[in-house]
Amino acid sequence: MKCSDVERVLPELLDGAPDGAFPADFETHVKSCPACSNLVSDLKLISSEARQLAATEEPAPRVWLRIAAELRAEGLISDAAIREPESAPTRPILVPTSRRPRWSARWLAPVAAAVVAAGSYVVSHKPAPQVAKQQAPATRVASPIPETPAATSASAPTPAPRQMAQKPAKPTDTIRPAVEPESSEEDQQFLTAVSTRAPSMRTTYENQLKAVNADIRETQAYVDRNPGDTDARQHLMDAYEQKALLYQIALDRIQ
Amino acid sequence: MRDSLGKFVQRKEFEAASERLAAGKGDLTDPKQGITEAEAIEQAKQGREAAFEVLYHLHKRRVYSLCLRMVSNPAQAEDLAQEAFLQLFRKIATFRGESAFSTWLHRMTVNVVLMQLRKKGLPVVSLEETLAANDEAPKKEFGTKDVKLTGSIDRLQLQRAIDRLPPGYRTVFVLHDIEGFEHNEIAQIVGCSIGNSKSQLHKARLKLRDYLTFMRAEKAKTG
Ligand SMILES: [Zn+2]
Repeated sequence: MKCSDVERVLPELLDGAPDGAFPADFETHVKSCPACSNLVSDLKLISSEARQLAATEEPAPRVWLRIAAELRAEGLISDAAIREPESAPTRPILVPTSRRPRWSARWLAPVAAAVVAAGSYVVSHKPAPQVAKQQAPATRVASPIPETPAATSASAPTPAPRQMAQKPAKPTDTIRPAVEPESSEEDQQFLTAVSTRAPSMRTTYENQLKAVNADIRETQAYVDRNPGDTDARQHLMDAYEQKALLYQIALDRIQ
Repeated sequence: MRDSLGKFVQRKEFEAASERLAAGKGDLTDPKQGITEAEAIEQAKQGREAAFEVLYHLHKRRVYSLCLRMVSNPAQAEDLAQEAFLQLFRKIATFRGESAFSTWLHRMTVNVVLMQLRKKGLPVVSLEETLAANDEAPKKEFGTKDVKLTGSIDRLQLQRAIDRLPPGYRTVFVLHDIEGFEHNEIAQIVGCSIGNSKSQLHKARLKLRDYLTFMRAEKAKTG
């Protein structure tokens, strides 16, 4: 057998034959030919390494939120209506078709708007994410000098500083513990509203809120360490939008 | 895929973090602490949201990863994963357990992705040998003869190499080597012959080997 013969039969042999069960003349050539030997072992390596890629990627939390919204819209989720007759919507649930907020209830809208605004604010303050995140309203508004003034003025609406200021101050350690931080005031307000209007859904929303808060926290930590990473900053903004979407879906559902 | 390095690193960190958090907090979606898949399927048939959510979390990574490998675009992959789950959940009442739920879901996901590729006019599998000649095959001088990948492949590099594969090759490679479908299944799914599936796979692997060798040589050059 020659090299060209090996190349010809390889597509058939590589997956068809169990290890070591290659025809004798094939084996003989491969053993004595470094090029073919390298080729065979590389192709096997690629194939086996590829298997490791099967479930490595985590979808963003918004994927589930969209699925859940669609399932509700199509009536495939029925327990909310059964268990919450007093709050079951009589009109069709409005499913957000885009990620643009479409606030329809007064009691949560300012909160959700603030979530987005806060996200814009934090993300746009590139040089000082630590400061921006960690409090003191005066400092937050006045002191960090944005590297990108245009982006800042466009993306930090007026409510942001006020809403952010309501958050309790956190320690300014650069290394943060991997524990759940205390819920923010708007989260508490949100969960209280859910508890009042749809007690059975509280756990669901509490978990989703935890997930998205964890995402924000981890992304923020990453951005702090890699302030120049635009992907990470985009992800952080997405995470805030995600949170806003969660509020929106909740209010569509339980008002 | 642009910026894939940053995203990849970032994603690894998120994954580690969320696993840590889930492990410590007794997440309701954790199958170990909640209901089994079979119970979730039954409850989803009753329309219970929590059951759908459990099923989603059990399979989200596998489904999303498959979509991402096939289209190399996170936003598109999210849409496809969403569509695959929705199709599955809409038909869940008809699921009788003849085949594994995961098999059913993965088959459905592949169909959703292929449908999308076809809609966009991308070749699901390159039936013509000419395609192989046309695409940007790496130059031979990057050496398939005397260079060896030496026992290990960087996962990120492999990912980037797969992203560079022409769609036809990529489909068969993803389905066979990543997802573990057999050639006869692939032939049926994408509508080609078994021999065609085998030769596409082989060419995909050869291309990946060239890409990887090239990447390694470049890396060595730049330090
Ligand atoms: Zn040889």
